[in-house]
Amino acid sequence: MPQRVDFSFDGVPLTGWAGDNLAAALMQAGTRRLRDSPRAGQARGAFCLMGSCQECIVWVDGARREACRTTLHAGMAIRSGTIADVAV
Amino acid sequence: MTEAFDVAVVGAGVMGATTALHLARAGMRTALIDRGAICREASGVNAGTLTLHMTRAVLIPYAIRGRQLWLDAPDWLGMDAGARATPGLSVAFTPAERDMLEHRAAARRAEGAPIELVTPAQARAIEPGLNGDIIAAAHCALDGHVTAYLTGRAYRRALVAAGATLMEQHPVAGIDRAGGQFAIRVAGQPAVRARRLVLAGGVWLEAMLGWLGLHVPVKCLINQLVVTERMRPVMRSVLGIANGLLSLKQFENGTVLIGGGWQGIGDPARGGVEAIPDNLIGNVRLARAAIPALAEGRVARIWLGLESETADALPMIGPLPGIGDAYVIGCVHSGYTSGPFMGKLLADHILDREPELPLFDPARLVQPQRAATLEKTP
Amino acid sequence: MNGRATDLVVVGAGPAGAAAAMQAAALGVRTVLLEDEAAAGGQVYRAPATTRDMARSPERRQGDALRAALAGSSVQVEHGQKVWSVSGQYRVDVLGPQGPGHWQAPALIVATGALERVVPFPGWTLPGVVGLAAATILLKAHGMAPGERTLVAGAGPLLAAVAVGIVKAGGKVAAVVDLATPGEWAACLPAMAGRPDLLARGAGWLARLRLAGVPILTGHALAAVAATPDGLRATVQPVDSLGRPIPGGAATSFEVDAVAVGHGLIPSTDVTRLLRVEHWFDPASVTWRPALDAGFRTTRAGVYVAGDGGGVLGVAAAGLQGRLAGLAVALDLGRLSQVQHDARAEKLRRKLARAARFGAAMARMMAPRPGQFAAIPADAIVCRCEDVTRAEIEEAAAEGACEVNQLKAWTRCGMGPCQGRVCGDTAAALLAQFHASDRETTGLFTGRTPLRPLPLDQLTGEYGYADITLPPPAPL
Ligand SMILES: Cc1cc2nc3c(=O)[nH]c(=O)nc-3n(C[C@H](O)[C@H](O)[C@H](O)COP(=O)(O)OP(=O)(O)OC[C@H]3O[C@@H](n4cnc5c(N)ncnc54)[C@H](O)[C@@H]3O)c2cc1C
Ligand SMILES: Cc1cc2nc3c(=O)[nH]c(=O)nc-3n(C[C@H](O)[C@H](O)[C@H](O)COP(=O)(O)OP(=O)(O)OC[C@H]3O[C@@H](n4cnc5c(N)ncnc54)[C@H](O)[C@@H]3O)c2cc1C
Ligand code: FES
Repeated sequence: MPQRVDFSFDGVPLTGWAGDNLAAALMQAGTRRLRDSPRAGQARGAFCLMGSCQECIVWVDGARREACRTTLHAGMAIRSGTIADVAV
Repeated sequence: MTEAFDVAVVGAGVMGATTALHLARAGMRTALIDRGAICREASGVNAGTLTLHMTRAVLIPYAIRGRQLWLDAPDWLGMDAGARATPGLSVAFTPAERDMLEHRAAARRAEGAPIELVTPAQARAIEPGLNGDIIAAAHCALDGHVTAYLTGRAYRRALVAAGATLMEQHPVAGIDRAGGQFAIRVAGQPAVRARRLVLAGGVWLEAMLGWLGLHVPVKCLINQLVVTERMRPVMRSVLGIANGLLSLKQFENGTVLIGGGWQGIGDPARGGVEAIPDNLIGNVRLARAAIPALAEGRVARIWLGLESETADALPMIGPLPGIGDAYVIGCVHSGYTSGPFMGKLLADHILDREPELPLFDPARLVQPQRAATLEKTP
Repeated sequence: MNGRATDLVVVGAGPAGAAAAMQAAALGVRTVLLEDEAAAGGQVYRAPATTRDMARSPERRQGDALRAALAGSSVQVEHGQKVWSVSGQYRVDVLGPQGPGHWQAPALIVATGALERVVPFPGWTLPGVVGLAAATILLKAHGMAPGERTLVAGAGPLLAAVAVGIVKAGGKVAAVVDLATPGEWAACLPAMAGRPDLLARGAGWLARLRLAGVPILTGHALAAVAATPDGLRATVQPVDSLGRPIPGGAATSFEVDAVAVGHGLIPSTDVTRLLRVEHWFDPASVTWRPALDAGFRTTRAGVYVAGDGGGVLGVAAAGLQGRLAGLAVALDLGRLSQVQHDARAEKLRRKLARAARFGAAMARMMAPRPGQFAAIPADAIVCRCEDVTRAEIEEAAAEGACEVNQLKAWTRCGMGPCQGRVCGDTAAALLAQFHASDRETTGLFTGRTPLRPLPLDQLTGEYGYADITLPPPAPL
């Protein structure tokens, strides 16, 4: 049976369908900005949803993963994939 | 027919480009010819490490001068190719590596490298990202790195400004001597004529010297490099291991480059075609052993570059025996570091200026057999 | 999982890969099918991600049939396996839930499908702007639209498919913005005549959109998307047949919260470029394609390409190509005689010719127009990973970069984690336009491993220093 589960993005509690990929779950929960680009610092979100463009990179429980290639489970703590402190 | 050049340099890597730049600046009509684009072989794809920890001991005086030239590139080359000075560390995880570390540090110190042994705690003060499991370390104040992929852009600007004629996408097929000149044959183009000739073909030098009837075996190494995507700052030194199988650094843009001379598959005819997965995993495990925080990064790309080596593993830089006005430059270990200096040395010799340090006479390497034929060209 | 040997490895379980694997396996070829996703199906027959109740489209039914057929076959299907390297003759390295592993086989069928082309415009990097292909994935796998109110723009048959999908999923479509004119669509009719089913479906889609009151702007392009306090503002303008803005043409703006945009599909050549097989530039579809013979063999012995990876011709062609490639493998491995092979291949080839005719017409509709590249503003980002603009690309071109790999070295365009999959086509087109050269001269990014970024923790696994196999030390 489809199941709603709790998870979080940058500490903000959200809910989504277990089994969805994180990119879709975040989009459905209204979170579109997944990271800032490293050089221009522009907001970015999922773009291709097929594991190609790498725009949806986030931290999932401390590991760097493609949101569109990672399945949502209850309790996941997701953080924005922005990389701090690098030069252009 | 167009007027002959004063000099034609064949091969636009760091060796050929530096030689050509100094000759052009000295007023010679200079042609720099490459079968591809400038600095897209070893000189554009190497690790850009300016380390003395991995340099052949006898080449250390050359490497120290080359390193300084890279750091001063904005002044003499006109563009910053990303050269940065950093501390350099070489570490040991096992007693055997510690012995090697001590022995090698002493040998390099004898040639003038300011390498000193430090405690693991001191090493971690220099490089906080370092694994606490190391048992010994050596530190060198003179280290650093260059962004190798910018080499061609920097040299191309300088060469154009110096008035050199750059002939990219000009594969040389052979060289004839006629009327005191060299006629450099280029597939699909008229021959390029020049009074002097410099061969600077990297791993392709064996075939090039064959054009002139000289047989000099050149070994080809297929070096693997691995780069991560950008990550938060996890290290600030150039880091190696006593056995020379790791070279590790993080650029300002956050990417981490992992090298150390692990081999892939390729040859001069095909280039570096294929990484060996087990060598990738080995190289990356070694890197993560040194800097544990690398575990949070992702490998973005693995590539292979071709490095040349002579029979005695020392460079060939100087006039070719028995052929007037022809010179060779190449097969320099850690040749990217010393390249800007080596090219200047040869240019000084050609311009009848006293070179600052001795050249490396190619005559010692010429084998008696008749040369490889033209068919062997790449 | 270490170095398991088999006869054939197929990479990608879309319609092409699945058909190829089943065909070869049915002829006694031991076959392993590797797929990154959790289920077979590929783009068109994508499986739903959840057990949520979703509309049952014809694709869903065909996809379920395909998955059932695979399950009933002797093909060993391995899901969740990301292929990251192909080396030797042939070692295929994967990263899966259990970590790294590899397969070894004398034959390899590459069926990795297509990527979407999106020609840059200001605002294409904003969150909420997604590819048309991405929109189909959201619709098929998750039953959701990209937003509450979506503008659908670009070129080709995905436009109508996405717009109708959004309407059916309960979303709103602000407008469909098509580069092509009705006249250009009409010119495809002869080629489409062989597929009355699809023609009827297309007509049904249009009717559905009209019924929903969705404006359809033909001969229009998306000029820019800007962020507003409540969402996105998409501006569209009329263009000529070369995709150039018509001077004085009236721009129209739409307030939306999502934009789905795409300019056609291009073969995914990651694996074939890695393997250094010969590629050719197809001016009709404006794409690079691996050179293939009638058995879908590449120029490298033992490597075959089936489906979109060889040229985007649609799902029917992909399945037929897969079967033909499977037959060729069986022939080459000695499981079929030439006579047996030819008898079977003959019929498939005739069907393929019909399917390909339709596919080629669609490919032409998806081909980018030169004016689209010319219209990219100087400060627009071309390489999303590294934020490289058109101006930076042209500055490097002016300094002497004539070929994409030199461009990449001088600007980092294509050096980020996507390795040029998104920007490569545009960068090459801009270079060719700048130097008035051609796409053969501007070339292709060199293919390297890993085919997708590899998390270092997964690649290395847990290990001790003594577990590292070290080569001999470097000389002093
Ligand atoms: C992967 C790798 C990592 C390295 N890391 C370091 C490092 O960290 N630090 C360091 O100091 N050194 C390093 N090196 C060594 C260093 O890169 C080389 O010593 C140096 O770049 C060699 O320069 P070159 O000009 O002799 O050769 P190349 O740069 O190879 O230039 C030779 C040129 O000749 C051209 N050519 C060949 N045939 C023809 C023909 N027929 N006609 C016309 N042109 C032709 C080629 O196209 C090429 O451009 C590394 C090497 C590699 C491969
Ligand atoms: C979004 C979209 C919608 C489309 N809709 C239609 C349509 O309605 N009708 C039509 O005729 N055509 C359509 N097309 C064209 C369509 O892609 C093809 O005709 C058909 O799906 C091609 O089949 P394929 O097997 O070649 O590739 P795909 O279906 O794309 O399958 C490729 C498979 O390979 C896998 N893969 C790729 N790389 C790796 C790797 N490194 N490791 C492991 N697995 C990998 C992918 O996950 C995927 O499952 C569409 C294309 C797209 C992108
Ligand atoms: S959205 Fe492109 S890789 Fe996830």
